[in-house]
Amino acid sequence: MGDAGVTHHLLGVAGSYPMLLALWLLPLAGAVICWTYGPQLRAIAGWLVSALVGASFVLALLSWHDGTQNVAGAAGANQPLFSWMPGFDFGLLLDPLSLLWTFIITGVGFLIVFYSIGYMQGDRAFARFFAYMSFFVFAMLTLVLSDNFIGLLVGWGLVGLASYFLIGFWFERPSAVAAARKAFVINVVGDVGVMFAIFVIIAHVHSSAFGDTFAAAGTLSAAVILTICVALFIGAAAKSAQVPLHTWLPDAMEGPTPVSALIHAATMVTAGVYLIARCAPLWNASREAQLLVGTVGGVTALLGAILGTAQWDIKRILAYSTMSQIGYMIMGVGVGAYEAGVAQFFTHAFFKAQLFLGAGLVIHALSDEQDIRRMGGLWKKMPFAFWVMLTGVLSISGVPGFSGFFSKDEVIYGALAHGHPWLDAIGIVTAGITAYYMFRLLFVAFLGEYRGEAPVHTGGAGSWIMNVPVAILVVPSVAIGGALLFGGDASPWAHFFAPLFAAQAHLAASQTPAPAISENLTSVIVMMVVAIGFVIAWQRYATATAQRNAVERLRVETEKMPAVLTNLFYFDAAIDAIFVRPSQALGRFFGHVFDPRVLDGAVREIVLTAGWLGTLVRSFQTGLLRAYALILVFGAACFIAYYAIAGAAH
Amino acid sequence: MSVPINDYVSLASVIFFIGVIGVIVRRNPLIMLMSVELMFNAANLLLIAYARLWLHNVGHIFAFIVITVAAAEAAIGLAIVVTTFRPEKYVDVDDIRRLHG
Repeated sequence: MGDAGVTHHLLGVAGSYPMLLALWLLPLAGAVICWTYGPQLRAIAGWLVSALVGASFVLALLSWHDGTQNVAGAAGANQPLFSWMPGFDFGLLLDPLSLLWTFIITGVGFLIVFYSIGYMQGDRAFARFFAYMSFFVFAMLTLVLSDNFIGLLVGWGLVGLASYFLIGFWFERPSAVAAARKAFVINVVGDVGVMFAIFVIIAHVHSSAFGDTFAAAGTLSAAVILTICVALFIGAAAKSAQVPLHTWLPDAMEGPTPVSALIHAATMVTAGVYLIARCAPLWNASREAQLLVGTVGGVTALLGAILGTAQWDIKRILAYSTMSQIGYMIMGVGVGAYEAGVAQFFTHAFFKAQLFLGAGLVIHALSDEQDIRRMGGLWKKMPFAFWVMLTGVLSISGVPGFSGFFSKDEVIYGALAHGHPWLDAIGIVTAGITAYYMFRLLFVAFLGEYRGEAPVHTGGAGSWIMNVPVAILVVPSVAIGGALLFGGDASPWAHFFAPLFAAQAHLAASQTPAPAISENLTSVIVMMVVAIGFVIAWQRYATATAQRNAVERLRVETEKMPAVLTNLFYFDAAIDAIFVRPSQALGRFFGHVFDPRVLDGAVREIVLTAGWLGTLVRSFQTGLLRAYALILVFGAACFIAYYAIAGAAH
Repeated sequence: MSVPINDYVSLASVIFFIGVIGVIVRRNPLIMLMSVELMFNAANLLLIAYARLWLHNVGHIFAFIVITVAAAEAAIGLAIVVTTFRPEKYVDVDDIRRLHG
């Protein structure tokens, strides 16, 4: 495998890149320091981790040249580190794709960690929180910077662990512990999928490096590629909350709000998108895998949006919208529109982090109230939070000019351009529902009269710590889409990803016929559907009649909610019935029947037999010396008699 | 000329059975030890007799080993008897049944 004579295919330009190494390890240092000296650091922990993650971001910016270099077809930088065994080397790879993820992880991560200094103020385990956050950033960087599948799996498992830590951060709450466990178990299902894919890859390619695998993609049979893709997609679906492995994501909102923003919206849940975009050469080689992933993505987008319309918890609405938006991303990368799916990830990271942090401002001000029915009228009391949420909602709904508009359009049109008109239709419908439930959230929480009992605490010392990161996030979530994505194939975005995806785009374009309607027409249709969603939300929640008896109307809406929506399409019940309860029954059978009756029974029988034999033999053990002598003589007499008789027989 | 082998065997058997009966029927441990010595010596007598008959000196060697073992056995046996029955006035093996099962 690693023998001389076998050439290895590297994805990047091999060399020494100390900045890359440093930006990878700084967050780990932060985690170790906070874990070790947490009680002594106290309030400094937040500033320390912010500084380290911020430094990582600066290093990522400085690595721009390394990440975008393109020498003889090798895009990006490859820093070899060490070898596990001959043929299995570990190194860091910084190419346009991982560079983009690194920007989001460290950049948005820095803003969210900084925001947490204010949000987590006064929490008993302040330093522990920042240790986990820093550890998460390190784990996520490991995932996206690894140049081989095994390193990716290591990062993949570690982000799941960090997510488990942070969902269960307030471990005094039983619901948080249950949610953390659920997230971990479902994520492990995905880990097993990725692991299986790696086994298949190693068996056929004899290497775990991305470069070797992609170079060999053309020589593998279609069945092998499909197996690898499906196994990888099980991992991607579990991590990125795709149907039917999505049920952990809404429950994961038990964690602190900055965690929801960083892990369960901006970065970790998009690991599946990264995986598929990274393995684009594999997916390009299997039309069936593309169809599967695209369909699951589309279905997830639609179901997430529908479920979002039935929620009252502000964070759960955002969780379902995250699920729906990741559905878009998966649909994009699934059908082969990689640039579009990744663009959706990029803009989503900003506006969804902004929405979560804005929701965090509200939750913080209302003493942990999360039910939008007990909010209302907040635009007067918290104008800053209102403007933040408004711009976020406009962006996620795809209002023209905002970032979400460009990326969502690219995904929806991408589905059509790659020959999937049905997914295109699902995308358009979902866009309308998205507009409806996001404006519903905004109207119910911020318009009308205040309906809650909790007093609204705004301002106060340190509130700038929370406001500044949110204000910074507003800028990209409004403008970055237009700046980077405008212009189609001539946009800076397309230019950035040209070394990675251009060849595949041409390949796909040559295979599928030109779509019947143009990209501009699609945009217009999406705009109209979004407008319809907005109008329905306005009619139901924002008009003067709707405002007048809002409490009563919301109560009636809660009562009349269809059972299928309050039961979340029965996914939890189905998983419970298909997997959980049979396993519990199996466990009960082994625990209460098989183990005590069969295993323990056999052991008990052996013990009883030994005891019975012992009692029998004990009766000879009289302790009378002369009795023993008699038995000896008797035994000797028997011997003599035997030989006498045997001798006589001769 | 020489004593026939059958006489030796008969004598040794008689001595041996006297020993056996002594061990089984007597209750005084000292007598029992003496009976065991009788059995040893019966065996020794046979060893020497057959060694002479077949002109083979391995019987002598065995006899010496038996004498050694007998000496050791007597020493240990007497030590047990002394330690066990030191507080008693009368000695009777049927009185010590501490090893019963």
